[in-house]
Amino acid sequence: MDLTEKFSPIRKGLLEFLILKIVAANEVYVADILKRLSDTDFATQEGTLYPLLSRMRREGLVNYEWRESEAGPPRKYYTLTAKGNAQLADLDEYWKHINKTVSQLGR
Amino acid sequence: MHKVIVINLNGNAYQVDEIGYDALRAYLDRAEAHLEANPDLAEIMADLEQAIGEKCQRFTGPHKTVVSAAEVEQILAEMGPVDAAPGEGAGDAGGRDVRTPPADDGSPRTKADAGAAKRLYQIRDGSMISGVCNGLAAYFGVDVAIVRIMFIILAIVTKGVWIGAYFIMMFVIPYATTSEEHAAAQGLPFNAREVVDQARKHVADFKNNTDEWKRHWRRQRRDWRRHFVRQQREWRRTWPVMFWWRHGAQNVPYATRVLAGVTVSILGLISGAWLLLFVYALFSLATRGRVFGWPLPPNIPLWAALLALFVIYHVLIAPLKAGRYAAYHAAGWYSPWVGALEAASATLFFWLAYVYVPEIRVFVHSVVMVLRDLLRSGASVG
Repeated sequence: MDLTEKFSPIRKGLLEFLILKIVAANEVYVADILKRLSDTDFATQEGTLYPLLSRMRREGLVNYEWRESEAGPPRKYYTLTAKGNAQLADLDEYWKHINKTVSQLGR
Repeated sequence: MHKVIVINLNGNAYQVDEIGYDALRAYLDRAEAHLEANPDLAEIMADLEQAIGEKCQRFTGPHKTVVSAAEVEQILAEMGPVDAAPGEGAGDAGGRDVRTPPADDGSPRTKADAGAAKRLYQIRDGSMISGVCNGLAAYFGVDVAIVRIMFIILAIVTKGVWIGAYFIMMFVIPYATTSEEHAAAQGLPFNAREVVDQARKHVADFKNNTDEWKRHWRRQRRDWRRHFVRQQREWRRTWPVMFWWRHGAQNVPYATRVLAGVTVSILGLISGAWLLLFVYALFSLATRGRVFGWPLPPNIPLWAALLALFVIYHVLIAPLKAGRYAAYHAAGWYSPWVGALEAASATLFFWLAYVYVPEIRVFVHSVVMVLRDLLRSGASVG
């Protein structure tokens, strides 16, 4: 088992957190999110992202609105809701906490 | 050259070739199956179609209007497998963390597919007939040979009814066309519901859309033809002995040729005998409903029994035929002699049968009568 595979559940779990972060920074549509993630360890695909975003919307973390685009059909632009903002703050806090724990343990 | 199919992806038309269409259809069907329980199913499917459409645009322009199969594969690879959203539902979040993550390295599809649900497919690579046994073997994780032997045993035990079951499976079970489906064919544990769904879907397609079905059937037939040619090529590779004349190898020792000549006549006689038995069996089945003392089970229609008999006969004589062809060519006297010998042996057998088996005589007479009646009525009409 290689290194990336060991951390794959973690990466998977962090995906939602990262999407919250990306959406919080900018109003984005799916292709933007994919592009932001594409060069990172968290590169993902439409097949994963759409179901995830639909769940986040159902949980009231994000919302979208249709926007006309210059080329092609209208796109869904995602924004963070108040609940999403709160969740992002919590997750951020928790992530810092975990990081601290990891760096303090052992050597 | 491939046929082009126009598809509607979330309200926009795109042209893809036939193979690409199959792959796309399989991808979307699979996505839909995975998201079945998702309340936003329709919306996600629309999103996915939209995304695929946008990717298709990348491959088309004023001088290229069709998206090829390879491009579809590439698009689907970029899309990645659709699974239920991470953390979806209570069961998923807890125990099933073994699932591999969404794509994140060089080989996203294969990795992510390992976590996909297992589905039953027909796998044509290395199949004997259509790939049903092959697919079942992949599905249950056993050797193909075991499945095939089981099928043959079942066919014998059920007196051929199982052959019908095979045909049904051939029709109902989808082919694994994309690499994604090949992976799915050997995925995780049993999920009978998907198989049933798939069957239901096929039946629905069949009912609602005969055109679609006809196309499917045409494609199926073409696939069979292609498969047949490939199979022959493979046989030629595995048993070159049987096909040596194709390479024009005639430098066979004289003794072998003599031996082959003798073999030809013996095999000819044997196949003549088989033919006679077959005709006799057909005849007794049709007139008295029994074959060599076995009565026809009441729940099997006559035509099915006749068909089964025909299949069995061909299976039995296949090795004989093969041996005979090999011998002909080893003997080096293919054409007139063999024909004459065969005709002679067949005539001899028929004559013997006619003389010594009263049923055959009656049968021949009745055939003659029928033919005479036919001719007479034709003449009177004319």
